[in-house]
Amino acid sequence: MTWPPASRFLRSHAARSIGVYVVVAILWEIVGRLELIGGGAFPALSDILSTLWTERSLYPAHTLATTSSAFIGYVIGNVIAIGAAVAFMVSPRLERLMRGIGIALFSVPLIAVVPILVLAFTGSTPRIILAAVAVYFTTMASTLIGLRDIDPRLEDFVMVSGGSRSDVLRRIRLRNSVPGIVAGLRVGAPAAVLGAILAEYGSGTRTGLGTFLLGSLGQGDPARLWGIGFVATAISAGAYVLLGYLERRLAGKTTSASVMTVTPATLGGTDNQSRSTRALFAIASFAATLGAWQLFVSGVGLSPIIARGPIDFVRYLVSSPQAAASRRRLLEALGETVPLTFVGLAIGLLFAFVLATFLSLRPLIAQGVMPFALISQTMPLVALTPLIVLIFGRGVTTTMVITISVTFFPAFVATAQGLSQAHSGTIDVVKTYNGSDLQVLRLVQVPTAVPYLISAARLAAPRALLGVMIAEWLATGKGLGQLLNESRGLLDYGMIWAVAAISVFIAAGFYAGIGLVERSVARRYAN
Amino acid sequence: MTQQINRRQFLRGTAAGAVLLGGSTILAACGGKESEVSTAPGSPKLTPLPFQASWVNDAEFAGYFVAIDNGYYTSEGIDLAYASGGPDVIPESTLLSGTALVTLTTPETTVKAITEQGAKFKIIGAQFQKNPIGVVSLAASGINSPADLVGKTLAVPPVNTLAVRAMFRLSDIDINDINIVPYQYDPTPLIAGEVDATIDFVVNVPYTIRELGAQASSFLLYDFGFTVFNDTIVVTEETLNNQRDMLVGWLRASRKGWDENFKDVTKYPTLFEETWFAGTGRSIENELFFNDAQQSLIEHPDGIFAMSEDAIAANISALAEVGVMADRSMFDTTLLEEI
Repeated sequence: MTWPPASRFLRSHAARSIGVYVVVAILWEIVGRLELIGGGAFPALSDILSTLWTERSLYPAHTLATTSSAFIGYVIGNVIAIGAAVAFMVSPRLERLMRGIGIALFSVPLIAVVPILVLAFTGSTPRIILAAVAVYFTTMASTLIGLRDIDPRLEDFVMVSGGSRSDVLRRIRLRNSVPGIVAGLRVGAPAAVLGAILAEYGSGTRTGLGTFLLGSLGQGDPARLWGIGFVATAISAGAYVLLGYLERRLAGKTTSASVMTVTPATLGGTDNQSRSTRALFAIASFAATLGAWQLFVSGVGLSPIIARGPIDFVRYLVSSPQAAASRRRLLEALGETVPLTFVGLAIGLLFAFVLATFLSLRPLIAQGVMPFALISQTMPLVALTPLIVLIFGRGVTTTMVITISVTFFPAFVATAQGLSQAHSGTIDVVKTYNGSDLQVLRLVQVPTAVPYLISAARLAAPRALLGVMIAEWLATGKGLGQLLNESRGLLDYGMIWAVAAISVFIAAGFYAGIGLVERSVARRYAN
Repeated sequence: MTQQINRRQFLRGTAAGAVLLGGSTILAACGGKESEVSTAPGSPKLTPLPFQASWVNDAEFAGYFVAIDNGYYTSEGIDLAYASGGPDVIPESTLLSGTALVTLTTPETTVKAITEQGAKFKIIGAQFQKNPIGVVSLAASGINSPADLVGKTLAVPPVNTLAVRAMFRLSDIDINDINIVPYQYDPTPLIAGEVDATIDFVVNVPYTIRELGAQASSFLLYDFGFTVFNDTIVVTEETLNNQRDMLVGWLRASRKGWDENFKDVTKYPTLFEETWFAGTGRSIENELFFNDAQQSLIEHPDGIFAMSEDAIAANISALAEVGVMADRSMFDTTLLEEI
């Protein structure tokens, strides 16, 4: 039987995805119109769009300012990241040495950095730096995975054919890293936009979406705040979709059917080194991080009241007159923040895994969730705080919601990538034996994706701490986030640096801990 | 001054390279100074004066905008570079970094910076004789004094923690009897009843709440014993010693700007709609309300910025309640006498 053309269109993929978005839009409209959520803090879609339309003349200058800075920072951050990944590929020792600095840049709480960057640099520079910092680590890590994660037989083939190591790098590794680079670029796009917006909060610039948002906060107009969030999301979603298209085209070209890829656990790449060598590198990396910290502090040439190096940090917590009181406040805050970080990380990863699995089983429904996932990455949380506290209150639930929204995205993208990289030959085998989609998922895709998820957990861990701190800062008024925020108001830069440094230490601890799990999982899957 | 120039030159040279380990050319190209001295040939040379405001552009700074637009600073030989503030701008920090030479602060943070951090600051004037910081609530809630807050939820911006602590101490109320949560200057949770009251500028937010269809009531922390200034004008001792004439010129021009603004509070906010207030996301009606409401808190018989001995003493005793130990030497009234 042949379908009439209209009905064929209705069954097409494009029509069904449009259908999903229409349903999402209608649900949004109903929920907003009837004020079902947060007593009007969640506006109807039509209200947001009509506010956006009537205020359209306000947007171009703000959007241009943020986008241009975010773009410059995005390019700089990614170029440095890819260059660094190649350098780290060539010299694993360099990677070990620089790892601490990378983790520090990735996990340092931005709310502590912004005031300092804004004082040290003028104009758009803080925005550009923050956007670059926001993208660096994820791109570097995913590029490095692609560079290392090659089929050893291909390497052997090039070497046997008389090729050099640089031939392997050029012909195989670089080509193999392209999907990883594109994945990193994808995750980085929302991060760069958000980084640029955060840097506007204290910069005193008069244009930019962040500045516009702050001016609008006091107006109690959720439709406007969502409008600003929409514009920011549109920028990063545009980049995200474009790069996704690129990724799909490249994926077709670079993964040939006969190549069975190795798991990304090779990122560590130092399994065969002795314990003492590893310890030595850990110490050297720690020293390099302290050196970079000191270099930054002396480099910016700010007043010693503001710029504090590692020695000032020790002095502040050990020998200064208020050291005991500072230690007590810090420990008290840590006691509130750290346990929540563990829980938040676990829930965030679980959420990412479930969502990615769901996407693989039910692509259409997951497609409806995607816009919200993107909004959650670009929408500044400060604009969503009223909504979140109205729905979830100011307790642990809110902390978890904010932590998940900050944590899940990189893990989600990595897991989805892992699921999609399952060997098609193996999938066919299961299907030939009449295996269901669920069985394919359980037998082939999930085992492929687990190492990716654990890899992603490394990226998610520092963010979990950040997420808890943001929740404390915006909503609950407890723990490290509150301590940081109070200290800013009191000009207590000693405490600001102490919180920043200790949160980096904790994040690095998480990172190393997950690295151990990763190695043991890699061993299991290798056998 | 020379010290500051050295720092800037150093920064421009090393910023990108040292911090980001590369990409220096693009960064350096983008990191230009916001305003160089702009002296047309033949005109008298102007002294550049970077000024850091304490909040985003709104009526709170109308007097300075008037003085800029009407050329009052230029007449004093000053080229004012105005930087807007915001919730993440800690004004005192910009003095320490040399980004600004004059700034507007809350007295409690400035005094704490002097006593605990050893910062060399002087307060040379006060914009608000009465601090406009107050407790804002919905009229129906019947919150009219600190005592009414017991058992309620109060949203406090972290920078105002000390002021709130002082208010409760002065009213003999245990602060632990109030549920204090962070506040991001968005009145939505207040209107929705998620919090019972917020700490905010009473000359501003009640109007916003009315625009949103609710009725607000408010009281000043000042009227319950927290008798301190706000938007105190602060400089470093170094600027005070080396550029005293410029500071007096700045005070004179700024006072003139405020006097002009208050001759007709409805005039300037409207004029600034497409300039100073463009793109802030706030309505001009809100600025008109603000400008009218703030007049009585700013004006003083001895002129704008006055710091009478009684007022200074009131500041010192109120701050002492929360362990912020101010003394008379932190306030320098001699420049005001020279206006």
